[in-house]
Amino acid sequence: MPKITVDGREIEVAADTMLLPALIEAGIHVPHYCWHPKLSIDGSCRMCQVEVEGSPKLVIACNTPVRDGMVVRTDTPRVANARRGVMELLLVNHPIDCPICDKAGECLLQDYSYNFGTRFTRTEEPRRKLEKRKEIGPRMILDQERCILCRRCVRFCREITKTNELGVFNMGDRSVLDVLPDAPLANDYSMNTADICPVGALETKDFHHKLRVWFLKKTPSICPSCSNGCNITIQHYRNQIWRLMPRRNDAVNDTWMCDHGRLQYAFAHDTNRLRLPMVRRGEQLVASTWDDAVAEASRILRDGVKRSGPERVALLASPHLTNEELFRLAQLADVLQLRHVDTPVVVGQGDDFLIQPEKAANIAGARELGLVPRNGGRDAAGILELARQGSLDVLYVCGSDIARIFDEAVWKAALRAVPQLIVQDLFLEPIAAFATVALPSLSWAEKTGTFTNRKRRVQQIHRALAPVEGQWSDGEIFTRMLAHLSEGRWEFEPAAVFEEITRKYPAYTGLSFAGLGLQGKTLAGVEV
Amino acid sequence: MATRTVTVSRPAPMAKPQGVVRSGAAVLKGMWIANRHFWRNLWGFLRGKPTVFTVQYPEERLEHPPAFRGMPVLVQMDNGKERCVACGLCEWACPTDCITIYPAETEDEIERYPRVFDIDMSRCMFCGLCEEACPEEAIVMSHNVEIAAFSRRGTVWHKEDLLVPARELEKTRFRHIRRTYDR
Repeated sequence: MPKITVDGREIEVAADTMLLPALIEAGIHVPHYCWHPKLSIDGSCRMCQVEVEGSPKLVIACNTPVRDGMVVRTDTPRVANARRGVMELLLVNHPIDCPICDKAGECLLQDYSYNFGTRFTRTEEPRRKLEKRKEIGPRMILDQERCILCRRCVRFCREITKTNELGVFNMGDRSVLDVLPDAPLANDYSMNTADICPVGALETKDFHHKLRVWFLKKTPSICPSCSNGCNITIQHYRNQIWRLMPRRNDAVNDTWMCDHGRLQYAFAHDTNRLRLPMVRRGEQLVASTWDDAVAEASRILRDGVKRSGPERVALLASPHLTNEELFRLAQLADVLQLRHVDTPVVVGQGDDFLIQPEKAANIAGARELGLVPRNGGRDAAGILELARQGSLDVLYVCGSDIARIFDEAVWKAALRAVPQLIVQDLFLEPIAAFATVALPSLSWAEKTGTFTNRKRRVQQIHRALAPVEGQWSDGEIFTRMLAHLSEGRWEFEPAAVFEEITRKYPAYTGLSFAGLGLQGKTLAGVEV
Repeated sequence: MATRTVTVSRPAPMAKPQGVVRSGAAVLKGMWIANRHFWRNLWGFLRGKPTVFTVQYPEERLEHPPAFRGMPVLVQMDNGKERCVACGLCEWACPTDCITIYPAETEDEIERYPRVFDIDMSRCMFCGLCEEACPEEAIVMSHNVEIAAFSRRGTVWHKEDLLVPARELEKTRFRHIRRTYDR
C-alpha cells in the first residue's frame, strides 16, 4: 500500500487508484464537478487541482495516479487561487437563477461558490442565451444556460446505459449540451442524469418546481418496485413523499435506480387509501373498529379450519410485506395448519442491469420464510381455481397482486365464489371490495422492517411517513390474530421479531436487526 | 449554609395626622390634573382647536414611520401578477412557520409562481425575516396590523388577500428596506 503525504498528514491509500478517490476515502475534501465514483475520468472541470511536489504546475487530482511517497498539498494559496479562477469562469455564463432552480440547496456550483469562489462578478457582458426548459425526453427537461459542461450525464449515457443520447455539440465557448432531435433521452435510467448533474441543468419533470430541497426530510429505505432491492432515500415533507433518490450500495445498485422505481411512490400518500377496517353486514361493507375487525377475521379463520379442515382454507401472502410481517404470517399458517399457501408475484419485463422481472421487493423473503405451497398444497393459480370450484370456505388475501397477475374474469369469479374472504390491502379497489372483512395495510414507507432481495441480501426499510392515528401495521394485525388463535403472549416489534427469525431459520443465523446497517447483509449460503 | 444579615433602613411609619394630610393632598393633586385637562380640552374643542392626541380610530389613523413593521404582504406588479417566484426562502426563514407555499410553472417570462401562498396571521409575529430573506423584493412588511377575524381559518390570508400594488409600497417600505439591507 503506497503512503502519501497530504497537507502534512501521512495517509495510506490503495494502490492503482487516482488521487481524488484516495483523498475522498481519507476524508479530505477536494471540490470536484466532473469526477463521479461510478463513471470514467473526464478531467474537464479543472476544479480538483492540487499541488504535487515535483510537478511545476498544479495537477488535477482525479486523473493523477497515486505513487508511493507523493507529497500533496490542497490548502495552499496557489490551489485556492486556481479554484477561485475556475469558479469565476464557470459562473461567467451561468444564469444564477437560483431562486427558481430546483437544484438550489444541493447544487455543487452554489456550495463551491460559497466555499471557494469570489463574492462578486467582474463581467458586464450579457450572459449566453440558450434554450431553457427544453424537453429532452419523456421524463427529463434541460436548461442549457445552467449547464457547466462537466459531461457527467454524457458519460452516464455512454457507459452505464450505453444508449448515447446526450452529447456536447459545437466547440469552445459555443459548446452546448443537447440531444439529437430524433433520439430523446428516453432510456429506463434517464432520471439518474438529474442526480449526477452537479447543477440544475438536467431536471426531472416529476420534481420540477415542486418543492425546495431544503425542506425535504430523508429516510433510508429500499425501492419497493422489484426484487433487485435498490437502496433509496425516501425524501418526504408534510407527510407526503416528494421524490425517491438512489442511495449508494456497491453490492446492489451502485448509485443508480430505474425511472420506473423512482416514480412509484404516489400510492403511499394517496388520500383514497383504505384507512379503517371494514366488515360486511349484509350487502354493505361498514367501517368497524380494529379490535372487532381483527377478532372477526380470526373467528372466520378458526371456524373455517374447525368446521371443514385446513383443506378448505387458503392463504395468499403479499411479496410487499416485510420479513418480520411474513414471519408472523407464516406462523399464522402453521397454527392453522394450512397447506394452500402461496405468494403470488407480478412478473414483467426485466433487463440485464437493475430492473428485475419479479415486481415486488420481498418475494425472495417470502420464499425464504416458507410462504409457499406446503405438503402438496396448491399454488396461487391452483388456489383461485379451487375457489372458483367452490372447494374453499375461507380465503385470506394480502395485497392486490392477484388482480394484476390473473385475468379479471379469473380472479373475480374466484373471489365471488368464496363464502368468506378476508382481504388486507392498501386500497378498497380492486379486490377488498369483495371482502367479508377488509383490513387496511400499510405501505412500505410507513413501516420499519427488512426486505430480502433476489440475491438474498437482507436490507432495512425505515418509517418515513406517519400512518393514520391508531392504524395497525400488517405485522400487528397478524400478531393479534395469532393471539386470538393460539396460546401465549404475542407482540410485534420489528427488531424483536427479526431476532425470532434468526433463531428459527439457519440462513439468518448471525444476523441482527441493528447489525444490518444501511447496506444490508447477505444470508448464509450465498456466494458473493 | 452561612446566613448573611443585611440591615436595611425603612422610613418610620408616619404619624397619623401627617399621613392623612399627605395622601389627601395627593388625591387632590390628581383631581386637579384631570380637571385641568378636561377644561382645557373643552375650551380647545369649543374654539375648534383640539389640544389632545386621542386618535378617533378607526375613522382616523396615524401615519406610521417607514420602519414600522405590520403584517407581511405580497408585492403586485403592474400586470397584476405577484412578484414572488415561490423560491421558498421566506418559508425557510420564518421562525413561526406561518408561511405555506406551493410553487407552479407558467408560460410567462417569469416561469415560476406561487400556486398557493398562505400566511397564517395568527402565528405571524411581524419580525420581518421573510422580507430580509426575499431575493426578489416580493414580500414586504406593510403598515396594516388589522388581522382580526371571526374564525381561526379567517386568520389565514391567501395570495389574493395579500397582494398590494408595488406603487403603494414604493414610498413607505421599498426605500427603507433598500437602505436597511444594503441592496
